[in-house]
Amino acid sequence: MKKGIVLKLLVPFLAVVFLVGFSTAAVAKTIKVGGLKDTTGATSDVGKDAALGQAEFWQYYVNDHGGINGKKVKYIWFDYGYRIPEALTKYKLLKRMGVLAIMGWGTGDTEALSPTVNKDKLPYVSDSYSAHLTRPVDWVDKDGKKHIGTGYNLFFSSDYSTNARACLTAWYDNKWKKNPAYGKRKARLACCYMFPSPYASAPIAAIKNHAKTLGMDVGPDQDVSLFALDTKSQIMALQKFKPDVIWHGNTTMSVSATLRDCYALGLKANHIVNNWGYDENLPRLAGAAMKAADGLSVMGATPCAFYGQKTDMMDEVVKYAKKYNPGVPQEKRLNRTVQGWCNGLVLWEAMKRADKAGDLTRVGIMKKGFETMRNFHIGLGAGDVTYLPTDHRAATGCWVQEYKNGKFIKVQFVDIKKRWPKQWASEWFGW
Amino acid sequence: MSRVWLPCGDYHQRYTEDQGWWQTNVIKGKMIFLLLIVFVVFPLILDEYWIGVANMVGYTALGALGVQLLIGYAGLITLGHAAFIAVGAYTSTLLILKFPWPEFILNLGLAYPISILVAAIVAGLWSVLFGLPSARVKGFYLILTTMAAQFITVDFILTQYVSKIGGRGQAFSLPPGTIKIGPWAMETDLQVYFVMITLLTLTIIMMANLLRSRVGRAWIAIRDNDIAAETLGINIIWYKLLNFFVAGFIGGIAGAFWVCNCAALSPEHFPWFLSLWLVGVILIGGAGIDGAIFGSIFMVVIMELLQMASIPLGEHYPRILFDFAFIKEMAFGLAICAFLIYEPRGLSYRWWQIKNYFNLWPFSY
Repeated sequence: MKKGIVLKLLVPFLAVVFLVGFSTAAVAKTIKVGGLKDTTGATSDVGKDAALGQAEFWQYYVNDHGGINGKKVKYIWFDYGYRIPEALTKYKLLKRMGVLAIMGWGTGDTEALSPTVNKDKLPYVSDSYSAHLTRPVDWVDKDGKKHIGTGYNLFFSSDYSTNARACLTAWYDNKWKKNPAYGKRKARLACCYMFPSPYASAPIAAIKNHAKTLGMDVGPDQDVSLFALDTKSQIMALQKFKPDVIWHGNTTMSVSATLRDCYALGLKANHIVNNWGYDENLPRLAGAAMKAADGLSVMGATPCAFYGQKTDMMDEVVKYAKKYNPGVPQEKRLNRTVQGWCNGLVLWEAMKRADKAGDLTRVGIMKKGFETMRNFHIGLGAGDVTYLPTDHRAATGCWVQEYKNGKFIKVQFVDIKKRWPKQWASEWFGW
Repeated sequence: MSRVWLPCGDYHQRYTEDQGWWQTNVIKGKMIFLLLIVFVVFPLILDEYWIGVANMVGYTALGALGVQLLIGYAGLITLGHAAFIAVGAYTSTLLILKFPWPEFILNLGLAYPISILVAAIVAGLWSVLFGLPSARVKGFYLILTTMAAQFITVDFILTQYVSKIGGRGQAFSLPPGTIKIGPWAMETDLQVYFVMITLLTLTIIMMANLLRSRVGRAWIAIRDNDIAAETLGINIIWYKLLNFFVAGFIGGIAGAFWVCNCAALSPEHFPWFLSLWLVGVILIGGAGIDGAIFGSIFMVVIMELLQMASIPLGEHYPRILFDFAFIKEMAFGLAICAFLIYEPRGLSYRWWQIKNYFNLWPFSY
């Protein structure tokens, strides 16, 4: 009897799943944009909000504002749970469905997919801002190692390595130079990040190189998991080195755990944080450890405005968030939504340009869209973006902000290209 | 006893026939038909996406076969098999990228095939190292020692040391054209599919041969009752370690294949969840080699179909794309619970019943 009920339920369910599943091959022709997001995996603490933002942008905002020069856009996205094997199959599924571009997510899967994306000539606008994805043409590094160009990888932001250099520079200029020890000894830098995570480890070589440029000492790296809730052993390991500043390369949840433990164990260091670890949730999670007491500060790289900050286009972001996801309280929305919109806005512009040029194809979007952009103004507090056929570094620096008196305050816009033009041109390109 | 029930009227007169590869011409025909399907028909009819899914099925199956050998055939419960897959993947990658191969080996496209073999042996030996505690502990305690393999191998050795080789940071990338077999550079999913199906077929043949030999019978005896097996003169430590070696060997092949499929490598590819996932595969698939295969097909293909089903529904209910993420996670747990309650012997048992229904027809009672 029981088996009968199970079969009765299972058979129609599977039949529906199979029919609906296979029917996707025959979806009506529209302009399709794909998405690969993490809303359940290791980076879901920041991924959920970014996915919400991008869905609001592509599903509603773009179509409400004329689609691609009048053509409707269909946005198809999947959660891959930060599992690289799943990202591979989902990428192939999106490709099969005929998407013209993909809004990607993490560094691990974006870098893993990069050779495939470039072979398929499929524009891949990722939320990974790894510097390894910025050099479109094959190149050879100073050790003679060959690197394959990442010609179809893009993002709107300054890359992680530029963020790291900008944060360290801002800290050096604004904090270290006011420190009584300045000029008497070298400043000390330590890095806390998840070693096996390509995202977290991507800018480490750059920030260490930058520390050397600024004449700093670099201490032992500490392996902090993206899931970390307790990092006391790592902080205790740093106590002997006594860092003046700590670079946090993870996402918000584990950065907050590290800040709390630094505070609890009395490690008197300033903190600089990569963009995916620096959002509105950080002060909520870190609590007292975020309050700039005793000269301590927490600064971070911010490639665009925080959610709701007064800047052009922000009204639209808030309007669409309220309208289409009223179940998510406004005070819980993050700058991840804004980052999602920024990436969406550059791809939308590229598609419109390609369409205007009569070549709304994958190659057309890249060559007649992205690579024609010079100082394109996105809004939302992001820098103007430029993509050259030989250089996909969209921005040359970023705002570094500090959390002070319950607010994020702009400290300095660090333009790495302006400050170190020679190194920017070639030496620091692509890593 | 053989697991094959012969059609009505057919019977064996010798033990060797009972354990033979081709027990009847019908079975031989069926096997040749199956090989034709996977080697000829699938590559012709499947598009790139489904070939990609098939590659994931193959990768999962290669991983699950090792777990099946440990848990299903020797009763050695493991929750650290991803570590051995990782060892295989890293060994193969380092050999391809860093080893100073003689020019003629590179020209003949032999570097990758040799690296598969070396990766399998290294992973096998690494597995033996973590199998040593099985001489003294079993059950829950053995689970803990195999979990240690995961954390020591992936989170410590590979993450802290091995993946830093080359100075890139934490990840290796194998540029297009790096992985070659003979004259063919592995650049398309179809080429990867042929590598997968060849490796899977060879692994199945090797494993099936082992299982019908003295070694296989010793493993099964140890699984059923280790004390009784020892009194029968079976050196249980030797056979347990041999089992770990072969399971690790197969895991190493899986890892080396993963490199070919993904062309990039980082410790993130081998989380502890992968070890747990592979145990889930054999729980759903059931006993035997076919259990590992059925489980892999179920876990990969059904999840893909569920995902595809969410797309048209998402047009009308956009929230489903968000909520589906959680549904998919739950589906894994739910599937294991459902199988344990309603189909505790797994999919392979149901397949066995279906086969026997036809084999014994019209006298199925």
